[in-house]
Amino acid sequence: MATTGLYSQHLDNKAVLHLRNTIVTIILVLLAVATLFPIVYMILSSFGPNVKTAGNMRSIFPSRWTLESYQAFFDFNEHTVRWIWNSVVVAVFTVLGNVVFASMAGYAFAKIRFKGSTFLFGLILVAMMIPYQVTQVPLYILVVKEFKMTNTYAAMILPSICTAYNIFLCKQFFSGLPTPLIESAKMEGCNQMQIFLKIVLPLSKTVLAVMAINTFMSSWNNFFWPFLVTSDPAMYTIQVGLKQFKFANETLFAPMMAGATLSALPMFILFFTLQKYFMEGVTIGAVKG
Amino acid sequence: MKKIIALLLCLAMVGCLFAACAPAETQPTGGSNTEPGTSTEPSTNTEPGANAEPDTIVIMAPPVTGNYIANLKVWAEDFHNLYPNLTVEIIETSWGDHNDKLSTMAQAGEAPDIAEVSSNAIGTYVDMGVVVDVSKYLSAERLADYDTNALNYMTLDNTVYGLPLYLTIQALGANKEMLEAAGADVAKIQQEGWTYEEFLEIIKNGTTENTFGFVFANSGVTASDMMYIFGAGAGLGNTFTEDMKYVFTSENMLSLLKAIEEMTQSGYMPNYAVEAGQRMVMCQTGNAMIFGKAMPLFESNFKTNNAALDANDGTAVEGSMKMDYVFLPSPTIDGAAEACYGTVDGLIAMRNNNTTDEHLANVMLFMDYICSGERIAACMNELYLDPVCQTGRDALVLEEGRDQANLDTASRCMSLVVAPPSGVTAEMTATAQSLMNEVIVPKFQLLLAGETTAEEVYQEIVEAGIDAFGEENCVTGRLG
Amino acid sequence: MKKTTAPRLKPRRKFRFNNEDLWGYLFIAAAMIIFCVFTLYPVISAVYTSFFEYKPFGSEFVGLQNYAETLEFSKRNLFYKAAWNTLLYTVVVVPLSLLLAFAIAVMILPFKKKTQSVFKALYYLPGVASGVALSVVWLWIYDSSPDGLFNQLLTFLHIPTQNWLSSTKTSMLSLMIMALLSGHGVNIITYMAALHGIDNSYFEAAELDGATFFQKVRSIVWPLVKPTTLFLLVTGVIGSFQVFMNAYMMTGGGPDNSTTMIGLLIYNNAFVYAKYGLACAQAILLTIVIAFVSLFQFKLMGVDVEY
Repeated sequence: MATTGLYSQHLDNKAVLHLRNTIVTIILVLLAVATLFPIVYMILSSFGPNVKTAGNMRSIFPSRWTLESYQAFFDFNEHTVRWIWNSVVVAVFTVLGNVVFASMAGYAFAKIRFKGSTFLFGLILVAMMIPYQVTQVPLYILVVKEFKMTNTYAAMILPSICTAYNIFLCKQFFSGLPTPLIESAKMEGCNQMQIFLKIVLPLSKTVLAVMAINTFMSSWNNFFWPFLVTSDPAMYTIQVGLKQFKFANETLFAPMMAGATLSALPMFILFFTLQKYFMEGVTIGAVKG
Repeated sequence: MKKIIALLLCLAMVGCLFAACAPAETQPTGGSNTEPGTSTEPSTNTEPGANAEPDTIVIMAPPVTGNYIANLKVWAEDFHNLYPNLTVEIIETSWGDHNDKLSTMAQAGEAPDIAEVSSNAIGTYVDMGVVVDVSKYLSAERLADYDTNALNYMTLDNTVYGLPLYLTIQALGANKEMLEAAGADVAKIQQEGWTYEEFLEIIKNGTTENTFGFVFANSGVTASDMMYIFGAGAGLGNTFTEDMKYVFTSENMLSLLKAIEEMTQSGYMPNYAVEAGQRMVMCQTGNAMIFGKAMPLFESNFKTNNAALDANDGTAVEGSMKMDYVFLPSPTIDGAAEACYGTVDGLIAMRNNNTTDEHLANVMLFMDYICSGERIAACMNELYLDPVCQTGRDALVLEEGRDQANLDTASRCMSLVVAPPSGVTAEMTATAQSLMNEVIVPKFQLLLAGETTAEEVYQEIVEAGIDAFGEENCVTGRLG
Repeated sequence: MKKTTAPRLKPRRKFRFNNEDLWGYLFIAAAMIIFCVFTLYPVISAVYTSFFEYKPFGSEFVGLQNYAETLEFSKRNLFYKAAWNTLLYTVVVVPLSLLLAFAIAVMILPFKKKTQSVFKALYYLPGVASGVALSVVWLWIYDSSPDGLFNQLLTFLHIPTQNWLSSTKTSMLSLMIMALLSGHGVNIITYMAALHGIDNSYFEAAELDGATFFQKVRSIVWPLVKPTTLFLLVTGVIGSFQVFMNAYMMTGGGPDNSTTMIGLLIYNNAFVYAKYGLACAQAILLTIVIAFVSLFQFKLMGVDVEY
């Protein structure tokens, strides 16, 4: 297993090892508390009574434990389950697109020396720097007016199916792979596609898993774009749907939290499914020339 | 095997993309020409007077009330039965994001036919050139159904740009029992109003160890609410005078700022910023006597909470007590006439790529339909407001159990709301709006935080106002 | 497209398969098509619009007026104030949050696989908390009343309570703390992936030389995760320059514009004031600044580290 070597195992002295681990654990837990607070609050208040408006929600533990907020969420309208499903469809295809396209492009920019690569990569980076507020209108014109894609999954998926961020991530990762490895494969007559599929991809499970989970999360949390391109409640994603729980003078707070908690479940499942790949590491040592 | 699938998937996706790109490639430099848009639509626009031609009206609205969208669907159905050739399509948006979507759609030239907007956002869309003059398509007789005062809110450059849904009034609210204990003549205040000095005396009496006499949600952008609500009582209810002069540079502004400064330092209200969600909670838990901003609608919140306390089902505000709600007018400052702050939300008809005269006539028909009669009456009952059109008032059947004194006060306050003078242009409103957002509110926040003085804020506002409008277009002395 | 400078002229088929250019273009083809349609086109359109007073039906060409208006020197031009606020925020938040993420990632390492998973989940999964829950919680944390969580903490420590988001003294600090305490899950996961990629043989060699833990971190770990750091730094700076949501949600830019960021300014111009052309011009000026800063970062961090 890679990297554990960073830490001395203190084989001679177990007490030191335990002390060190305890201190580190305490620091980590303290830091985690601040990050965890909102999600704990979200989950706990979803099991509380069906309160309106959040102004009076100043305690972490609900005054009474009940599932009525979940009932209220499902009763809100006939599409609530569909919203979660829509989010899953959009996120899954966005992830697949990014894993395939961004990894290929990232590999090309990192390891294939082709003319114009620096320029094209620079272009991609610069495009990433423009604030979305101003590209939203032309993108809307393109997707809605030209492609007539209102209320389709395609409208929600295509604009983020291969993001500059992920191309950049892959490029950075692949450029860390040993060039001699690729060169020697080339000597043996492999073409780039074979190198990519047989050598690079197997070494890249970690980065692909990271990319998948990050992309899934950002697609899952994306609100404004799906909100712009949908008008049919049946096509809403969960984030768009949850906003419907807010009115001018009141918010259906607890049902909204129930929906948010339910919508977090697919993220949890994905995270723990991909978990093992985060640990894989790249066993470069074995193949290093 | 997996790799082959991956490859196939990849190819399929590329294929899809090429297919998707095709329309873009064929007309890439189309720009803003309207030709392609109209040619693909079934041509409803060629024959004059084609009222019987089928037509679809698109309306976009946020949930104004909990039932608004559901009601809208029913009304759309009823309307379709009345005019079988006309179909209504509803785009539901969410509260708080409605304007972002509308703005994007309008700028793309794809605005819905009808959209809900606040009256002070109309200028933006007029400026964009996407709003339609209502009076051109609606008979004078129908237009006369709406109160002139409310219609004036929908008017810019002497053109009526929309129909009012409701006029909402914003002032103060209080715990009745506590207010009486502090020596206030509640009925008199509700019927005749009160001065700032009387208000200060009462909040002083109402302040105890655990209770603030007054609390106002003024953190962040809500600071502007305090400015508008007390501003109405200081004679600053409208941004411009009848002769088109900017009023926030007047000495009334200084009086207002001084009153605010005095309040924040008095100890009768919190000297820190209060979150919007907290003001009513503070009243309901007995930590505050008077609170703002408040609307007549809050009577229903207090009733719900009282019922929740009786039921003891855990939905009541934590630590709250049973109490009666009173709606109070804004106090008058420095002898200004009594006034009330109000805004109008309404519907506007918008231009998009396939707008024609016949289409607009149909659009207006539906817009008028949902802004009047029992439709609007149902909506107003939910908001505890009076309708602003005659047919709406005629159709109004009050729900049971409303507090008569609050009802009367609300009606009285609505009559105290003065619409913007006619002749204000879109450009003037835009300048005033950016002055408000970029100078007045930021400095006002500084005053609330106790980091500056009323005099300094006033100087800043006068300077900025004169810079923006020119000295001759600003009121410099006292108003009126 | 490609120059035929191949020294050995082989049969055509062979030549094509050996050509790096062709492979390069093939690999990026799908990505570039998507990029051109959904990213480049809107960007170019925004650049184009920045020279117009934009109206949906009939824009008017105004040349550089939008740029001039943005850069105009005047007391009330918010652009400079917003630029300063954004810069301050970026300089403080980005390096600190990277350092924090790196430290956390390194601290997670010594544990068993199971424990590591738990910690990663603890740091990562809160990212799914709904925006509404987030805003309620943060407004509660920063509530200026004595009930606010931070104020309760201060009272406990016998420090006077603060007017957190509503005082010019603490508003920017509050936003920075908020950024530092939330949302480094992505950075931690990315760093973890890079750390797992470091081969054990490096440490074994260092161990033989008697290197301490901090020496190993400095001379092995840090240089080897440089591409990751560069990536996180560049994307972090880009994100930070565009920061909008926190200011929009928590302060609306106040008090006294002390938290007005460029992102908020662009948003207001584009969506509230309908000055879309002006918003585009401001966005492009921002992009130019970000591009230069990024270029500087690339130079500073060196080109890609090769094994």
